Amino acid sequence: MTSTHPTAQTLDIIKLNVRLANGRRLLRDVSLTLKPGEVRALVGESGAGKSMIGKAVLGILPNNLDISEGEIILEGAHLNAMTPSTRRKTVAKMSSLIPQDPLTALNPVRKIGPQITDPLIRIHGWSADRAMKRARDLLDRVHIRAPERVMASYPHELSGGMRQRILIAAAFAPSPRLIVADEPTTALDVTVQKQILKLIRELQRETGTAVLFVTHDMGVVAKISQQVTVLFAGRVMEDAPTQQVFEAPSHPYTQALIKATPTLNAVTKSFSPVPAELIAELHSDIAKIDAAYDAGDRA
Amino acid sequence: MLAKTILIRLLSTAVTLFGVAVVVFTLIRVAPGNPISMMLPPGATQEDIANLNALYGFDKSLPEQFVIWLGGVLHGDFGTSITLRRPVSELVLGRLPATLELSVMALTIAVALGGFVAVIGARKRGTATEVGLDLTSGAVLSIPDFLWGLVFVLLFGVLWPILSISGRIDPRIDFDFTTNFYLIEGVLRGRFDVVGSTLSHMLMPAMSLALPLAAMIAQLLKQNLKEVLVQDYTTLARVRGFSETSVILREALRNAALPTIALIGVQFTFLIGGTVIVERLFAYEGLGNMAIDAVINRDLPLVQGIVLLFAALFTVINLLVDLSYTFLNPRLRNG
Repeated sequence: MTSTHPTAQTLDIIKLNVRLANGRRLLRDVSLTLKPGEVRALVGESGAGKSMIGKAVLGILPNNLDISEGEIILEGAHLNAMTPSTRRKTVAKMSSLIPQDPLTALNPVRKIGPQITDPLIRIHGWSADRAMKRARDLLDRVHIRAPERVMASYPHELSGGMRQRILIAAAFAPSPRLIVADEPTTALDVTVQKQILKLIRELQRETGTAVLFVTHDMGVVAKISQQVTVLFAGRVMEDAPTQQVFEAPSHPYTQALIKATPTLNAVTKSFSPVPAELIAELHSDIAKIDAAYDAGDRA
Repeated sequence: MLAKTILIRLLSTAVTLFGVAVVVFTLIRVAPGNPISMMLPPGATQEDIANLNALYGFDKSLPEQFVIWLGGVLHGDFGTSITLRRPVSELVLGRLPATLELSVMALTIAVALGGFVAVIGARKRGTATEVGLDLTSGAVLSIPDFLWGLVFVLLFGVLWPILSISGRIDPRIDFDFTTNFYLIEGVLRGRFDVVGSTLSHMLMPAMSLALPLAAMIAQLLKQNLKEVLVQDYTTLARVRGFSETSVILREALRNAALPTIALIGVQFTFLIGGTVIVERLFAYEGLGNMAIDAVINRDLPLVQGIVLLFAALFTVINLLVDLSYTFLNPRLRNG
């Protein structure tokens, strides 16, 4: 099932629409691919739908959203054609999530060790010894001193940066084909952000895992990704290699977004918000597209 | 840390029990009716009354009587029952196992039933099943325990008589008890006829006491489960492939349980209070039933003994509830 798909992509999203119960679209015909071992950044302002794409793949969108339109193909498996329980198991076997807020993503009443090893044992069918060894090795790899002690600790005994490193270790533990990183550095302070970013990039290279990296920070995009998908109002504005996006952005919104990114050496000079006229123009485009879509829907 | 906490609790328990003793002692003596007039035949002379009063010490002033009684209590002597003519401590401790077995059984049923309904309700949140369970537990909650007792008597004692409606055990059973814990002893000694008969007598009163509490647990726990089930760590567990039921039981339940434990602590004392009426209804030979007789007969020493025992029981339960918080919530351990 995994090897028969002709495109051999890790992730293939084709014309995905996410809709509210009243029919309003939150994602509009989003298509993107992720090759094995590739890092793709999803950028856009808040509400652009960048997190929603990751959540749609992992199957953790709220129940009131309809994602039946479009295809999500993970390692050749058509997720939208599956029963909820098969989908859940398939996704769990092949992908992991690095969550946004490390302070709320660990269960406060359970020790760290079982929170890493539980899925390995109960979902991936590993032996307890193998899972323990894997957890120890990975905690060591993410520079956690005394992994044994940390595994016997509760989350409240550890710092935010440590917890995020633990969550990264947990995400890589089952050797997934795909990792969705949902703004994994947003909740951390700047010095820790850099370490975390470096860690994800190193582990990604070592393991060859494809990463869908959700962020609003163009600086982070430049550091981590090979491909960029720029989103606005649930629509793909630009899809190009990272270098090209920074050197010669083709879409006016991408150009504005890069201009709006403050740089360290010239904060005041280079900083300029995305122009309101451009935003208004883009919204009116979207309205036209939606009108055409609705007309087609009715026909 | 723990030792200090327990020491403080023991001290405050002593103060509480002293307060209870003072109040009960005073109240039952101020209330109308006195035991002496119930013991004497009509037409007794003033002299007889005075003699009997002197015998039981009722001729002394209230504070004097209290000091004498308290002095006895501190030496483990709770006085002698006026009507039953046996030491209060012996009578009360003889009945305590019956009430403990009944109330622990009721609590177990309430937690199991309420917890089960809460998990189902959380699993089916947002569906008609959840609404149905909410309505049912609302209805169950609004009917008090003694009324449930009458409903059960009608159902399983009269219409479909499969359970025993009166007493604690079938008197025809030939069994030499060494303790008054009939159920536990029956289990330990492998006598299933004893266990069966005890359960048959205990089930209806226990269910009557359990149902309102079960409904409360179901509602509170389900609400807390729903709040926990939107936390990030439960989302992460779903991504890792765990089913919703497994997420509820393994990730959410312990986090959601704390308010319910507090509720159970408070409500368990009400449940034990409820045994007084329910034991009466089913002629179950426990403390509550004895308490009613003691009050009717103005058996002052016995009433005092029973009330003090209930008070001690309540403080022990509260201590256990507080200790269970620390067990459930690691964040409270090194505080």
